[in-house]
Amino acid sequence: MVTTKGSFAVEDMKNVQINIGAVVKEEEEWDQPMGPYPKPNVATLRDWDFKLANRYKIFYAPADDTCTLCTYGPCDLTGNKKGACGLDMAGYCGKIVLIACLMGCCAHAAHGRHLYHWCLDRFGDMKFDMGDEILVDSPLYQTIMGTKPKTLKEFGDGLSYVEEQVVQLMAATHTGQEGYYGDFESKALHAGMLDLLGMEICDMLQIVAYDMPRGAADAPLIEIGMGTLDQNKGVLIAYGHNLAAGAEAMIYAEANNLWDKVDIGGVCCTAHDLNRIGLAAGNPSIPKNIGMKPKVAGAMGWWRKMVRSGVMDCVMVDEQCVFCDVLEDTQKRKIPLIATTDKIMLGLPDRTNDPVDQIVDDLVNFKMPGVAVLDPKKAGEVGIRTAIAVKPKRSEAKAQNLITDTQFKEYLEKCTGCNQCVFVCPPHTNIGDLIQEAVKGNLEPFSALYETCVGCARCEEVCPQGIPIMDLYEYANRDYIKGQKFKMRSGRGPARDTEIRAVGAPIVLGTIPGVIALVGCSNYPKGTKEAYDMAKEFADRGYIVVTSGCMAMDMSLYTNEEGKTIWEQFGGAFDGRNVCNVGSCVANANIADAAIKVATIFAHRNHRANFDDIADYILSKVGACGVAWGPYSQKAASIATGCNRLGIPVVVSPHSVMYRRSFMGRMDKPEDWMVIDARDGKMQQIEPAPEAMLYIAETKEEAMLEMAKLCLRPSDNSMGRSIKLNHYCDISIKYCGKLPDDWHIFVRDAKDLPITYKDKMMKELEEKHGWKIDWKNKKITEGPLRPADVSFDPTNIPRKIRAKK
Amino acid sequence: MADEVKLDISPMYEGERIRKEDLWIEMGGPKTDGFELSLSAPMDEIQDGKVTVIGPEPSEIKPGSTIAFGMIFKAGGDKIEKDLESIIERRNHALLSYVSGLMHLNQRYDIWMRMGNNLQKKGVTKWEQIFKPIIELYKAEMPFIEKLEVTIITDPAKVKEELAKALDIYITRDARAKGLHDEEVDVFYGCTLCQAFAPTSACVVSPDRPSLCGAITWFDGRAAAKVDPEGPQFAITKGEATDLVTGEYVSINEMAEKRSGGEYNVMKLYTFFDAPHTSCGCFETIGFYMPEVDGIGIADRDFKGPAPNGIPFSTMAGQTGGGKQIVGFLGMGVLYYFSPKFLQADGGWNRIVWMSKALKERVKAGIPEEMYPKIATEDDAKDIDSLKKFLLKVNHPVVNGVVRPVDGQKVTEGWKLEEVTDDIKEKVIAFIEESGGDIDVAAVNEKLGLTEGQFMQVIEVLQDEGVLE
Repeated sequence: MVTTKGSFAVEDMKNVQINIGAVVKEEEEWDQPMGPYPKPNVATLRDWDFKLANRYKIFYAPADDTCTLCTYGPCDLTGNKKGACGLDMAGYCGKIVLIACLMGCCAHAAHGRHLYHWCLDRFGDMKFDMGDEILVDSPLYQTIMGTKPKTLKEFGDGLSYVEEQVVQLMAATHTGQEGYYGDFESKALHAGMLDLLGMEICDMLQIVAYDMPRGAADAPLIEIGMGTLDQNKGVLIAYGHNLAAGAEAMIYAEANNLWDKVDIGGVCCTAHDLNRIGLAAGNPSIPKNIGMKPKVAGAMGWWRKMVRSGVMDCVMVDEQCVFCDVLEDTQKRKIPLIATTDKIMLGLPDRTNDPVDQIVDDLVNFKMPGVAVLDPKKAGEVGIRTAIAVKPKRSEAKAQNLITDTQFKEYLEKCTGCNQCVFVCPPHTNIGDLIQEAVKGNLEPFSALYETCVGCARCEEVCPQGIPIMDLYEYANRDYIKGQKFKMRSGRGPARDTEIRAVGAPIVLGTIPGVIALVGCSNYPKGTKEAYDMAKEFADRGYIVVTSGCMAMDMSLYTNEEGKTIWEQFGGAFDGRNVCNVGSCVANANIADAAIKVATIFAHRNHRANFDDIADYILSKVGACGVAWGPYSQKAASIATGCNRLGIPVVVSPHSVMYRRSFMGRMDKPEDWMVIDARDGKMQQIEPAPEAMLYIAETKEEAMLEMAKLCLRPSDNSMGRSIKLNHYCDISIKYCGKLPDDWHIFVRDAKDLPITYKDKMMKELEEKHGWKIDWKNKKITEGPLRPADVSFDPTNIPRKIRAKK
Repeated sequence: MADEVKLDISPMYEGERIRKEDLWIEMGGPKTDGFELSLSAPMDEIQDGKVTVIGPEPSEIKPGSTIAFGMIFKAGGDKIEKDLESIIERRNHALLSYVSGLMHLNQRYDIWMRMGNNLQKKGVTKWEQIFKPIIELYKAEMPFIEKLEVTIITDPAKVKEELAKALDIYITRDARAKGLHDEEVDVFYGCTLCQAFAPTSACVVSPDRPSLCGAITWFDGRAAAKVDPEGPQFAITKGEATDLVTGEYVSINEMAEKRSGGEYNVMKLYTFFDAPHTSCGCFETIGFYMPEVDGIGIADRDFKGPAPNGIPFSTMAGQTGGGKQIVGFLGMGVLYYFSPKFLQADGGWNRIVWMSKALKERVKAGIPEEMYPKIATEDDAKDIDSLKKFLLKVNHPVVNGVVRPVDGQKVTEGWKLEEVTDDIKEKVIAFIEESGGDIDVAAVNEKLGLTEGQFMQVIEVLQDEGVLE
């Protein structure tokens, strides 16, 4: 210790200087040296990508074998034929994947760019501060950029970097550019990583500017469901992902004491973000706890059901995941629509520069079905005032829009039983049967399948009789809609450093069996209930369950036998046996951040500009598995691909075959599973853990089995391995009625065996797999791939080999 | 022989609560007697797998009622000896909880168990149907148990009788554990469990220095190393001590060098300062040295907000983990606060000036009575200034110099002014003039904010300068 002039510096704590009484300053940079890869370019991390791709083989099953991307074509690519440009089938598939990932990445990054300008305009530059309990405050940014933003303005560097890289990647998709599928995939992984960064920037900006919770395990429970929207008030719906206009509507309602006249309901991720506003205490421009006031109307998959249920009076759309026929739906029902960002303008007149009175007047008197108002403040005011003023004027239209008993019967009678609707229905609901039952006066089947309906309205598109089938569902479910009132925990934001410290060892050793991240839009047949089932299964088992976006909303719609929602059954901490809602889509970055934080806070890996090192750590030691359930949007594709680059495997739902791609490990190829022991540089074959990077599961049951398996890591100690195997085997027995076929591959030692199956397994190892067992000491003497060794330090990166001092 | 019942057994049921509505039979708990005891016994005295029942079987008990309950396990095996009894007994909680419908809380004479309706529905009528599988679980979990039998007691008078005997056994065990000190053993235990994430971490567990994660005592280390010689816990032959006060042993230094890959070659057990123990990252609490008061503060993991040194737990912990030796910071386990060798080289409790309130309360029994009121918490001091004032007020040993109890050596000089400024000189002169030469130490503390030593330091300077005589 050196004491000089009343202050002292502590060895190994170079960034903290202590003076009498207080920390005087944290020096401009942190103690970590700059890592090898600040702001990686397109090819910088290609080695790492190829390491992943060598172990996890890219598997394509193309949906379309004709390339129509340019006018040389269309080119038939079947049977190893090349296109006119020379591109083969695999290259074409890779190109489509890259384009999809870029779409997803751009959606989030553009959202971030919009918020960046808006927040700086609205609030001025602010200090970037996540509070005392989150010091590693922008893990992805630091890992990728190699710098630490100290103000909101400084995040601009990150956005510029993402934008520059996106341009480079997009260029590579032009005809006559990249041609090799492996390089397309490396570029897609790059796009995925950029997406994670774009999301993090976006969420950090809004957390600070809008005073959102910074890692609040006890974030408040808020109301969710169509039944929570107060029909005695004007109901304004804010739909999409960008909170700017919705937040202004809230602030306007607050400033003008209008909450007794208006109810705001969020749809899709805007809902999450509106409910996070003002829950911390920091920005004086944000009314405290204002986020408690709006309701969550529901997830994006419920949109068409909502609009037909008659619960809303005015709609503001912002960006992402908005159905393209939103205007048609609202216009038909005399619900004024306000487009609030330039991403979605729907042909509406741009009224940004007109006086509010005039715009409201036009909307309230139905002179036009909607307007575009690109100034969030103005849009917010227009939204609130329109919702209040239009409500009485809409009462007639509202009544007319809900079908009557007579109309219901008339529609039923029109059905000829042609079954065209059944053929196009994604869950293959036999709508004809529902109608036949309804004719007999039994509406139960219509109710029972209400949640199975994904709201795509394809049935109506094909019905030769023009029956509004979704209206029939609405008619049959009016009581349910009124009673759809549940609780959801509002988005907590990042994991706190202290939480990471507490769970770090249990995760790495395996005694917390894994981190399960349920993300995506679960509007897949039965997807809403499955979101709840999966969360509950894994939380009950002691996993850390993390969720966000529409998945978090959908899992809120179910209760246990005590009437408790998932949020009331489990705490909201980043800990085993908890379910935490991080927030909206862009808050997904907090999940990747948590994995990085295990490496950096807990294990002291330098993360600064050190992406592959951190990804290598996560791949080898952090038992995390992502799940994107429901339709695999381009955003979900880029998030999953970003997670893959960070070493986190992802299970996706059957809809994901749209991209017809998976990353599957080959257990039969020992050479794929060779890793370096960082202690001495020797090569060691490991069990296939994790076995896949991108796994398509056909059913909830298959997904859960795979999720448990993909949490296995080579660093598990024996207790951790036995716990993880126990859950893997339990789930297999529970849902498939037998032990999985491959459990023995993951056994290194008798201590790895789950105790409840131990004797049975030892016998099976001896009899079926020819292993040698010392029965007296209950030990395995021959058979496993490698011995269990707690000090084993697996890595895939040669520079991690520790040089002896 | 009762029919075999297929129970649902899995770690996922640990933590399952049986609510009143689902209750079939409640055993032990706050309303009646209950106990658990695990004993070692010679192999020939044990009938493996046997379940003996004294008192009514479940089918003979009125549903919804609370009964007195005792269970005595007898374990035998080549490697089993008395030391392992409490290790075996401690697994009751987890293994019993693995059974769906069976809840087990607390330990020893405090156990509180419930069986749920689902077990009745499954067809459980006899204790044997539950405890036979439990015996199997035990033998799977702890292969060194070669034979195991259990006696279930549900007869209230017999429970009372056996509980009285069990209480004596607990007392004897505790006395043995508390009474065991580093001097009395030949072997310490090392643990490399944390090397998976902290590659240079080299943990030593001795009777007087339990692990910093709180998970492993010397007895645990001993049991683990004995039953699983290839496991992460291993024996270190204590050998010769280089310094008994700081806890430096040749064997530990060698182990540290080997396990840290050459990073550290000296590691001492009972000190904060010179070559302290490595800190892996899972420590329950962190100690931090504050040079301004020449004392040590301790914060626990749950302490929010900055400690008096201005740094929150997270920053200190963030800098300290990773298996490093960090001078001025040390990760420590809660049990260490009950050790007689707690930082003995640095003055032990006499050197502790601040603790987070929750921690101080938790380890109250370990703090010497006279020191308890002298240690500040966040209620008394939030920064160095207020801490100084507090320490002066309570006349904490650091103020005038810490004498370490272990050998009576004075290890700190007490507070000194780094520089006697003109400002201080003037204040002291004014104070002397005001008090008319009748100097009271309490008044010096209170009015000048100086210790007696610091006051004398100023006086000496003033004398040197000829201002005073």
